[in-house]
Amino acid sequence: MNSAANAKLQFRVLYRQFLFRVVDLEILSADALGDANKLLGQFAALLILVSIIWSFGAFGIIGANNMPPETRASLTLFMTHFLVATTMLVVGIFAVLSWDSIFPDRRDVLVLAPLPVRPRTMFLAKVAATGTALSLVVVLLNCATGLAWPFALAVPVTAPLGFLRSLAAYWFTMFAAGIFIYCAVLALQGLAAQFLPRHLFLRASGFLQMAAFCLFVCAYFLEPPVDGLKMLTAPQNRHLLACLPSYWFFGLFHQLNGSMHPVLAPLARRAWIGLTIAGLAAAAAYALSYMRTMRQIVEAPDIAPGSRGLRWLPRFGDSLQTAIVQFCIRTLARSRQHRLILAFYLGIGLAFTISLLQFLASAPQPPGSVAINAWHQANVPLLTATIMMTVLAVLGARVVFALPLELRANWIFRAVGMHDAGKILIASRRALLLISIVPVWLVSAAACFWLWPWRQAAAHLAVLALIGIILADLCLWGFRKIPFTCSYLPGKSQVHIVIIAVVVLLMLVAQSVIFEQQALQRPAIMAVVLVLLGTVAIGIRWHIHALAKSDEEELRFEEIDPAALVELGLSSNKS
Amino acid sequence: MLELLRVCKRFKNISAVDDVSFFARPGEITGYLGPNGSGKSTTIKMITGLMQTTSGKIFFQGEPIERDLIAYKQRLGYVPEEPYLYSHLSGLEYLTMVGQLRNLPVKSTVDRIDGLLRLFSLHPSRHVAIASYSKGMRQKILLSAALLHNPDLLVLDEPFSGLDVGTGLVLRSLIQELAARGKVVLFSSHELETVERLCSHVVILNRGKIAADDSIERLRALMALPTLEGIFSQLAVEQDTAAISREIADLIHA
Repeated sequence: MNSAANAKLQFRVLYRQFLFRVVDLEILSADALGDANKLLGQFAALLILVSIIWSFGAFGIIGANNMPPETRASLTLFMTHFLVATTMLVVGIFAVLSWDSIFPDRRDVLVLAPLPVRPRTMFLAKVAATGTALSLVVVLLNCATGLAWPFALAVPVTAPLGFLRSLAAYWFTMFAAGIFIYCAVLALQGLAAQFLPRHLFLRASGFLQMAAFCLFVCAYFLEPPVDGLKMLTAPQNRHLLACLPSYWFFGLFHQLNGSMHPVLAPLARRAWIGLTIAGLAAAAAYALSYMRTMRQIVEAPDIAPGSRGLRWLPRFGDSLQTAIVQFCIRTLARSRQHRLILAFYLGIGLAFTISLLQFLASAPQPPGSVAINAWHQANVPLLTATIMMTVLAVLGARVVFALPLELRANWIFRAVGMHDAGKILIASRRALLLISIVPVWLVSAAACFWLWPWRQAAAHLAVLALIGIILADLCLWGFRKIPFTCSYLPGKSQVHIVIIAVVVLLMLVAQSVIFEQQALQRPAIMAVVLVLLGTVAIGIRWHIHALAKSDEEELRFEEIDPAALVELGLSSNKS
Repeated sequence: MLELLRVCKRFKNISAVDDVSFFARPGEITGYLGPNGSGKSTTIKMITGLMQTTSGKIFFQGEPIERDLIAYKQRLGYVPEEPYLYSHLSGLEYLTMVGQLRNLPVKSTVDRIDGLLRLFSLHPSRHVAIASYSKGMRQKILLSAALLHNPDLLVLDEPFSGLDVGTGLVLRSLIQELAARGKVVLFSSHELETVERLCSHVVILNRGKIAADDSIERLRALMALPTLEGIFSQLAVEQDTAAISREIADLIHA
């Protein structure tokens, strides 16, 4: 085989390897390697579902012949910006989640470096795999909106050429916005790898990843929506529009669509400049990283928490419980993958919190209520925010508990012979409370006591603590594992159902906090609520412990049980 | 005493361990040998309780181990062949965790860990993550974890792997010392010279079945062979090693 054909073959092999290594196969259940595809399928289904739901709005605009032109213009402007900003957010989250696979890691280098694979082939395969994954995210998110909204946004609405132009403008803008965000992340990571020594970069990389995640979520939820031309032309918004990239690409769409208002021209120009700079910076960072980072990876060991880490931890019960809780805390403190997943859940909570607080800040004061500031009384947005943060923190912690770290090292837990299911459950519960509820509760306590009268703050914090305890117990119902030690079955997590359940839960919480707000004004009712919640918490805990003690089931270290029946491998020969 | 009685393990329709019976007595170091794929590691996993037998029984001190697996594991020290460790923990943290999981008294465990880390020359690196340890350092951590609770039964699967010469000599004496103090030691290795020096009794496994189970002296006498290597080659190596090596050399030369 000649060298060009060989390189082509190597490229194909590496491309497949890089593209499908989204889920770390080392954490999967031994019999569940195909299950990773199920998880990816669930994410894809979720993006398609979201796209279909958002496309209904376009049909509403197309069908509403009597809609006043101003309303139609406001709605189309709002949706264009919303779709651009959402595409940028989703691509940003994708870039953050695939942070470690953007550049070759130690495993790539150590496996591939001894082989006769040219760095260029590896480089191209990585770029192609990344490009494919990025395109898939953009296409899935816009699969329905990308067909429906160009109809509504076309100028003029009925002409076929107008639709085709709008369609091309829409897809070009979405891809350009996605590429801009992805390249910006890539450039940030690549340049950090160039300017920092390897060991420092490995440490900083985790913080950069978290910072990028927070930036994307906060920018998305804090940037004001485009609710009409007035917002775009207001002088006080000029600086904001110039600074936030989602407005640049919003301008770019209207430029390409032929529907550009003069105020959008500088924004469209910024989009072109930004795209060029991000693309060039990413290309430079990528090329430099391939030339220099690969050598650094071979020469320096990967991240090693140094001597100044989290060394001392208090006892958390007896020695078995202490061992498990300390193991959980150290694992979460040192595993970037686990931290990021927990941050994803906290990020959603933070997004809700920001939106709710924005709502509170922008809510008009009722006439004659000058003396009573909405912030300084128990209010629905802050009540909802604290409860949602608690719920999402518990859910996130429970999800990361199910993901193992160094799966094959769990032999030590199997070999030492642990038998007391009740104690192990208590330890898992303590770890869950410490990791999720305690931090959220402390932050909530600081905010509530600072803003509200102390009685209201104390009562709400008691409610919050009880809700957290109940949730933690419910999350550990039937949990027969030691956190971070059991193999993972990604498809079992039913991520799309979880997200829908969270949305339903949000609605329930929104309803219940209205009642809580009223109860906070009446101590007698609040006392009854606390007694009820306390009784539920005690009842659930008692039931879970009784279940754990009576349960004959052993601790699980594999998500899939070995087959109860042994296959004999016999088959009938029909011939 | 550790006793295996007609132990079998089948995976689907493949028999990995077939009717294996032998004793490992206190005060004696039992060598457990076999070529790759002979069922050695599977037997060790069954002895350590990580895997269940398909049929047959394993006894320790006369009791079937599955009767009280937890109590049995409290008396077992195990060094696995592969150094799988939680590499995000430091050596000290890992050993502390093992001590806590075994419910050992805090004060004496701290002293014991400190002593083991010093004696294995790991003390300066005790706060460094295991991820950056060399293979030999990881092996020392595994050994320390296996010895921490003063076990009655020691199952050592390739314990010399990656150790430097000095530590290897220390470990060899240590195994002898522990056996002399009445521990049951089951020692599995591919290094036949080490096995010959350490063990008084060997069990040789081939294709999942026992090929020999006797003292090295008696095997030498019975088979009229001077070394354990000769005995092992005769009982467990079914290939013509010289012919294969010639063939490999020819193949890469072609």
